[in-house]
Amino acid sequence: MRLRALLAKEFLDIARNRGALAPVALVTIVSLVIPFAVVLVVPAMTGQPLGEDPALARLGAAIAPHAAIAPDIAVETFLFQQFLLLFLLTPITAAMSLAAHAVVGEKQARTLEPLLATPVTTLELLMAKVLGALVPTLAISAVGLALYVAGIALFAHPGVFGAMATARTLVLIAIVGPATALASLQTAIVISSRVNDARTAQQFGVLIVLPVTAIFVAQFFGAMPLTAPVLLAVGLALLLVWLLLVAVSVALFDRETILTRWR
Amino acid sequence: MIAAAALTREFGGRTAVDAVTFEVRAGEILALLGPNGAGKTTTMRMLAGLIAPTRGSVALAGVPLTRSTGAALRARIGFLTESPGLWDRLTVRENLRVYARIFGIADGESRIDRALRQFELADHASDRAAELSKGMRQKVAIARALLHDPTILLLDEPTSGLDPAIARSVRHLLEERRAAGCAVLVSTHNLDEAERLADRVAVLQQRLLAIDAPAALRRRLTTGRLLVRVLGDPSTYVAALGPERAHVDRGCLTIQLRHGEEETPGVIAALVAAGAQITEVRPEMPALEDVYLRLVKP
Repeated sequence: MRLRALLAKEFLDIARNRGALAPVALVTIVSLVIPFAVVLVVPAMTGQPLGEDPALARLGAAIAPHAAIAPDIAVETFLFQQFLLLFLLTPITAAMSLAAHAVVGEKQARTLEPLLATPVTTLELLMAKVLGALVPTLAISAVGLALYVAGIALFAHPGVFGAMATARTLVLIAIVGPATALASLQTAIVISSRVNDARTAQQFGVLIVLPVTAIFVAQFFGAMPLTAPVLLAVGLALLLVWLLLVAVSVALFDRETILTRWR
Repeated sequence: MIAAAALTREFGGRTAVDAVTFEVRAGEILALLGPNGAGKTTTMRMLAGLIAPTRGSVALAGVPLTRSTGAALRARIGFLTESPGLWDRLTVRENLRVYARIFGIADGESRIDRALRQFELADHASDRAAELSKGMRQKVAIARALLHDPTILLLDEPTSGLDPAIARSVRHLLEERRAAGCAVLVSTHNLDEAERLADRVAVLQQRLLAIDAPAALRRRLTTGRLLVRVLGDPSTYVAALGPERAHVDRGCLTIQLRHGEEETPGVIAALVAAGAQITEVRPEMPALEDVYLRLVKP
């Protein structure tokens, strides 16, 4: 009940502060445009099909679900899958400002003390902050994702859409994306509880995205094949990291310091 | 109902509150007076379980305030912080609704409606908090602190920023809560308010300098002078009492009593014998402000 009350407050607050979600929406739009520009517009303008690039053809073949699909389709599928990863990750960096501002913002607005004087627990407070940033971000990402998938169905080579409908894509969308978001935002909340400046929290929070991005970059260069089981393991590891971060954030949330030392 | 025992709080090497002991009984209003930095807010925060005492203890309704009892006890406290602390983008009603849900109030909406009426906020229920004046914000914050009918009220400067009419209505409301058996601790700089409202006054300056009923505190600085109003020119009667012990001050005969109030009947008899028509007799009492300033002077 208390968590629901706090969540309702977070959603109302964000809904009334449209500027707060503008970076998430903007990043989503940019992430939506870039893949189609790279995969469809650039080859059309240069007249050079992607499948003719040997390096891309090799990468496309490596992840192609069916050996029988044409090189162009395989490369497009590969690239759309890579951009899907970035598409899932980049809105999180924009949402980081919401989470980073969470505790610091309450303190600066002097709304934290009355809240702490209620039976609200630290866990409830911090969960509301994380979910308050996560849910709107995922909602915007979901809309973007629907457009991304629709764009692939409409504009990519016939067969790309079908080639992408794999367990790997599902794991990416349903587990890796949300788990990365949770872990990142929870990191921002941990930092937000320990610093008295939202910008510091935001900068630290982005750090959690970097290792995940590094894994995907490694895959892009063929160093690490991210199959569905590997991605599932990454997603579950991220969920464990998130749970650990929840415990850490509760343990590090020092009411006294926040109330008496922050100005 | 509220019991602080040897409550001490240190921040680094600085002692903000030093061995403060007091009690606020059910159905009592205790005003906490003290200069800026005297430790009033720190004391309030310790009583609300927001910060832990370095030494000493707090018990609320007979239950020791600890980490494990804190959440349950906070459900019984109405805490008004120094700053109203409203969410600016939420309306007045939404601000109250969040707290009604946090406290699990079953009839939340009707309780909110009642609070809005009580504080004359009904016309502003849909206004965002950011649009409210300072006084309005303070009213919403008080309404929020009282929303769940707490039995323990900790109010930091409740009438700060309120116009006199609203301040009076807040005082009436606190009197109602006292009548309902609440224990009310009010921190204030307003000595007049403390005197009007509080059953007892505690003067704090890191340590508890004094705690007593306002009248009893004033008696501590009694001057031993008797003020007498008479019809006509009061200077006429100075000779009857002797100029060494009587003079006229602001139209009043001021008489120094040498042996305390037992001397009063003799003084009155002497004045009547001299033909004075007496309209008022009262001992000169210092204002609470004088007592306060005497207590907290460096």
